Amino acid sequence: MKIFVIHRFIKSEMKIKRKTKAQMSHRPLWLFIISTLLLLYACSANNCPLESTVTCNYGFYDSEGVAIIYEDTITVRTLLPGMKTVYTYRKLGQRTVVLDYRDSVYIKNGYSETISEVRRDAVLANKIHDVSSMKVQMQYYSDTDTLIFDYSNISNKDTVILLHDSYSNVELPECGTHRFHYLKEARCTNYGLDHILINNPDVNYKGNENMKLYFNGSAHE
Amino acid sequence: MSCMTHFLFFVVLFLFVTPAFHNVVVAQGNVPEPEKPSLYVEVKEEKPKIPFFQGFTLSADVYGIVQYLLWDYGGVEGALRLNLKNTFFPIVEMGIGKCDKEEENTHILYKTTAPFARVGIDFNMLKNKLQDNRLYVGVRYGISKYDFDISGPALEDPVWGGAEPFDYRGISTTSHWAEALVGVQVKLWKKLHMGWAIRYRRELSSTKNIYAKPYYIPGYGTTVNSGTLGFTYSLIFDMNWGMKKMKMKIKNEELRVKNEE
Repeated sequence: MKIFVIHRFIKSEMKIKRKTKAQMSHRPLWLFIISTLLLLYACSANNCPLESTVTCNYGFYDSEGVAIIYEDTITVRTLLPGMKTVYTYRKLGQRTVVLDYRDSVYIKNGYSETISEVRRDAVLANKIHDVSSMKVQMQYYSDTDTLIFDYSNISNKDTVILLHDSYSNVELPECGTHRFHYLKEARCTNYGLDHILINNPDVNYKGNENMKLYFNGSAHE
Repeated sequence: MSCMTHFLFFVVLFLFVTPAFHNVVVAQGNVPEPEKPSLYVEVKEEKPKIPFFQGFTLSADVYGIVQYLLWDYGGVEGALRLNLKNTFFPIVEMGIGKCDKEEENTHILYKTTAPFARVGIDFNMLKNKLQDNRLYVGVRYGISKYDFDISGPALEDPVWGGAEPFDYRGISTTSHWAEALVGVQVKLWKKLHMGWAIRYRRELSSTKNIYAKPYYIPGYGTTVNSGTLGFTYSLIFDMNWGMKKMKMKIKNEELRVKNEE
């Protein structure tokens, strides 16, 4: 029996030896597989998000909650810190013109000029129309955003106030820093708007609908 | 470090370690063949019986240190591996991983230093289990509990103005991952062996926080992709008394057979 054991062991060694020669012929294949893996690892793709602009996304609805395309023109402004000088030109029977700079042409044409100090503002959405949604940037280092909705067909303006937290976020160091926000509360006046709701409080670059804007009236009327 | 530098480094490393793999394959044929017995004995299917507990190995990874010197992250680790029948190798790996990186374009700093642990098992894939060299495949489960710091330059508000730098410190995170590996171990001198392994790692979960995703997990590597390739190059102290006994036994049998003849 013991002789047999040794004999078997030798036989198994011979088998292994034969197999080894076969394995050696596959060596280029091993080299190819491992080299490919290493190449893939060494040249990995850039994993930064393609859409990296952080905006608060608003969806438009009628007062009953039906998604709508809003055909009126809307301009969204926000108030900025500090004051600015504005020049207002008026003439009987003519449309009043408000400019950030002095324009002597209006004075030559008989307009009266009024110089006043007003709160600075910036346009966040300029004359949008025929849209069902819009994207608006949020303030990085203040917890309150005041937005003024200016409609072309409604004389009064709506004011929307958003309360939020903001924080810096790094997905990967090579992708840089983004400022994300968390919506806490939203309020509005009711000239063109019926009411507003927070849909998804996490404002980031993933494109979720964060706010629902419900306009006065019904799409079925 | 650029993509091409990474690649060249791996090519050089691969050329360096390929002979070690070659040794394993060739070594299978290097066992001296004793003379065949002259007696004819009917053969029955039976394999040489290998005792269950063969010994253990202690190893230290040197690649992690080289990695840290060349790049921004790396670490030191050691392992204790049991040897069961020269086939199954339950293993515990422990170490400390470190990352101190400043991204060259964005100037964002990421820092962490923390311990990690892995447990798993390797399987010796060679048919001849009674040799010192091994080609093995294995699996691991890894865990690390660590705090990381991340900071960066000021980000300017494009509409309202103003800029503030950010500096988040001590973000506590626990990460879990799984690994599959293929590697070799070859004898250098007496009980001193060397071995290398290529490991595919996949993150299972990490504690979420709103500020940052962990860029580097100690013991795992960077999280740039969903899975990552890792590499270990180890110096191994192999205490394999089981095989020593086995070889002695076979040698004695051979001598006895010769004497009987």
